[in-house]
Amino acid sequence: MLQLNGISKSYNKGAIKAVDNISLDIESGEIFGFIGPNGAGKTTTIKMIVGLLKPDDGDITIGGVNVWEEPLRAKAMISYVPDSPEIYDKLKGIGYLNFIADMYGISRDKREEKMEYYLDMFNIKDAMGDIIGSYSRGMKQKLVLTAALMNEPELFILDEPMVGLDPKSSFNLKETMRQMRDEGKTIFFSTHILEVAEKFCDRIAIINKGKIVTVGTMEELRHHAKERESLENIFLELTE
Amino acid sequence: MMEKIISLIKTDFNTTFGLSSIAYSFKSKKNRWQIIVFGIAMLSLIPTYFLFVKSLGEIYDIYSQIGQSSMFLLLGFLGAQVIVFVLGLLYVMSKYYFSNDLALLLPLPVKPSYILGSKFATLMFSEYLTSLPIILPFIFIYGIRGGEGAIYWIYSFLLILTLPVIPLVLSSILVMFFMKYTNIGGKKDLIRTLSAVLFIILVVYVQLKINTITQKALLQGNDFLINLVKDSNLLVKKLGLGFPPSMWASLSLSNYLNIAGLGYLLIFVSVGVLSFIAMILLSEGLFFDGLIGNIEVSASKGKTGKKMSIRDSVVQTKPYLALAKKEITMLFKTPIYLFNSIGGVIVVPIIMVMSTVTGGGGDMGSIIKFVETKPEFIALVGIGFITAMGMLNSIGATTFSREGKNFWIQRVLPIKASDQIIGRILSSIAIQVLGLAALLGALAFIIRLRISTIVLIVILGLLGSIPMTQIGMVIDIIRPSLKWTNPQQAMKQNLNVLFGMGLGTLYIGGISLLVFNLINRIDINLVFTVLAVIFIVSTVILYYVLEKLIVKQFEVLE
Repeated sequence: MLQLNGISKSYNKGAIKAVDNISLDIESGEIFGFIGPNGAGKTTTIKMIVGLLKPDDGDITIGGVNVWEEPLRAKAMISYVPDSPEIYDKLKGIGYLNFIADMYGISRDKREEKMEYYLDMFNIKDAMGDIIGSYSRGMKQKLVLTAALMNEPELFILDEPMVGLDPKSSFNLKETMRQMRDEGKTIFFSTHILEVAEKFCDRIAIINKGKIVTVGTMEELRHHAKERESLENIFLELTE
Repeated sequence: MMEKIISLIKTDFNTTFGLSSIAYSFKSKKNRWQIIVFGIAMLSLIPTYFLFVKSLGEIYDIYSQIGQSSMFLLLGFLGAQVIVFVLGLLYVMSKYYFSNDLALLLPLPVKPSYILGSKFATLMFSEYLTSLPIILPFIFIYGIRGGEGAIYWIYSFLLILTLPVIPLVLSSILVMFFMKYTNIGGKKDLIRTLSAVLFIILVVYVQLKINTITQKALLQGNDFLINLVKDSNLLVKKLGLGFPPSMWASLSLSNYLNIAGLGYLLIFVSVGVLSFIAMILLSEGLFFDGLIGNIEVSASKGKTGKKMSIRDSVVQTKPYLALAKKEITMLFKTPIYLFNSIGGVIVVPIIMVMSTVTGGGGDMGSIIKFVETKPEFIALVGIGFITAMGMLNSIGATTFSREGKNFWIQRVLPIKASDQIIGRILSSIAIQVLGLAALLGALAFIIRLRISTIVLIVILGLLGSIPMTQIGMVIDIIRPSLKWTNPQQAMKQNLNVLFGMGLGTLYIGGISLLVFNLINRIDINLVFTVLAVIFIVSTVILYYVLEKLIVKQFEVLE
C-alpha cells in the first residue's frame, strides 16, 4: 500500500540530513508504528508521505500511485492527522467538517453518518456550533481526527495521535484503527508511547538520526537486540 | 526583577523586528531579494520626501519673516506627536491585545506591568521610525537656518528621544480603558467593530481634508503657503495649548540660551517619565481586565446551549464553492480582514462620493447636470473604480498568505488547482459585490443613474475585478508570507499587497490609456466591448499562469 524507496531529505543545503535513504514497504491491512527519539526524522518522513515536503531523493507510492507525480490521486486515498492541530480558528466545528468533506467529495448521507458516529465517539458533538478558537487542544485534536476518519481513507497517517487525548478517546481511537485494519486499510503512525507501539502495532520501525535502525514485528525486533524483554529496552539499546 | 524586564524586552524586540531572523533570512537568496525590493520601494519615496522638506524650508522662511519662528518648531512637534498618537492607537491595540505571544506571556510569573512595559519599549522603537522623518527636518531647518549653538542640538537630541513617550502613553491608556469597558459579554465584538469603522471613517475624512488642502495649494501656488501659515498660526497655537507637551518642546528649543529653555526641557522630559510611570501603575489594574475576554480559551462544551442537529447542518457543496465560503467566513470573522478589505470596499466609495458633494462648493449642481448628460462617462469611471477596488480589497494578494499555519490543510487535501483559483476569485467577487452596492447606492444619492449605466458598471466592473484578483494571487502564490503570528502581518504588513497595487496600477493605467485614445475615434459601445474582451482575455491567460504556479508552488513550499 505504501512504499518508500530510498527517500532522503536534508535541510540547510545538505548540512543537516533529516532523513537518510529510507526504504519501507507497508502492506494493506497493517498497523505500522514509527518510533524514534526527538529529532530522529519521524515528522519529516511523514510530511514527505503526505505531500508537505518534497524528498531530495527517492520516491513514494501509495497504492501504486506516485505521490509527487499524481498528487491529487494519492491525496484522495489518504487522511493525515498532524502532531499539532492547527486548524481554522474562526470556523465553527461543523463548518470545518463540511469543508473537509467537500474537498474529498463525500456525499451528504455518508458524511452525516460518519459525523454522527465519530462525534459521538469523541464526545464533541455539542461543541459543533462553537468556533474552533474556543476549543481546547484535545477537542481540536478530536475534530481533526473526525475530519480525517470521515473520508474512510485507504491509508491513515497520524503523527503522535495519542498526545492530548483523554484515556477514553485514546482507547476509542485505537479500537477504530483496529477496525480499519480488519477492513484492509493501512495505518501508519508515529508515537513516543512505546507501550502503544508494542501492544498495538503489527510491525514497528525504529528511526534514529534519519536512518531506519530496525524494522519488523515485535518478535523480529527481539531477535535484533540483546536486551529482549521489552520494546523500551530494545529502543534504548538501538538508539544509543 | 531587572533581568526579567530586560529579558522580556529582548525577546519582544527579537520577535517584532526579527533581528536574528533578518540575519538568518539574509543568508537565503530569495529573502535577500525581498529585502532589496523593499529597499527600492523605500527609495522611491525619497523624491516625495524631498518635496516635503523643501516646502518646510519655505514655511520656515515665512514664519521667520513674521517673527514667529518658534511656531515652526511647534508645528513640527505637534505634527510628530499627533501622528505618533494616532498610529499608537492602532499599534497598542494589536500589540497589547491581539498578539499571539500573550498566551505564552500571561502564565509566566511576571506582573502585567512588566509585560506592558516591554511591549511599550518595542512600540517606542516602531514610533521612532514614524516620528524621526517628521521631526528631524524641522529641527535641522530651524537649527541650521538660525545658526543655533551646541546646546540647541543637545536639547534637540533629548527632546527627539523622548518625543514619542507622552503620545504613546496617552494612546496606551486610552486603549486600555476602551478594552476594559467594552469587554462586556457577547457585545464586545460588535462594539469594537463599530468603533473601528468609525475610526476608519474619521481617518479617511482627515485624509480627504488634507487632499483638498493640497489641491488648493496647487491652485494658489506660492500665496498658498503664506495663507496656510497665517491660517494655521492660530490653529497651531490653539492646538499647542490643548496639547502642551509640544508647546514645551518648542519653547525649550527657542529659549535654549536662557534658563526658561532648560526649565521647559525638564518639564517635557519629567512629564514623559511621570506619565510613563502612571501608565505602568494603571496597567496593573486595567490591562488584564481588557485582555481576559480576548484570548479566552473558554472550554467549549456546547455552550451555545442548544443541541446540535448534525442532520440539519450537513450540506454538500462543490469544492470551489466550499473554498469560497470558507474564505468569506474567515474574512468576516477576523476583525483585521474585515476592516481592511470589506470595510475599505464599502466605506471608501461612500466617502469618495460624499466628499465630492460636500467639498465641491456651490457649482456642484451644474457639474452634476453636465455629468448626467454623459452616462458613458459615469459608467467608465464606475468600471475603473470597481476594477481598482479588485486590487485594493487585498483579497487576491493575501489569499494564500492568510492561510498561515493552516496552509498544510490546503496542501494535504486533494484540491484541484482550478478549484483553488475559482474558489478564491469567487470570494473576492463576493466582497466586490458589496463595494458595488455601496458605490451605486452612493452615486444614486447624488445623480440619476440610468439602468444601462448600472448594468455596465456591474458587469464590466466585476469582470475587471477578476484579473485584478488574479494578479494579486499570482504574486501571493509566488511568495506567500505564511509565518505570521498576527493576522495583521498577513494583510496590512504584507508586501504582496504593495506589489499587487503596483502591477494593478500598470494594468489599469494601460487600459485607461487605450480607452482614452479610442473614445473619440470609435463608437462608445465598441469601447465597452473592447474592455470586456480585454478583461476576459486577461482572465483566461492569468488562469493558466495561476494553474501552473499553484501546482508547482504547492509542491515546493515548506
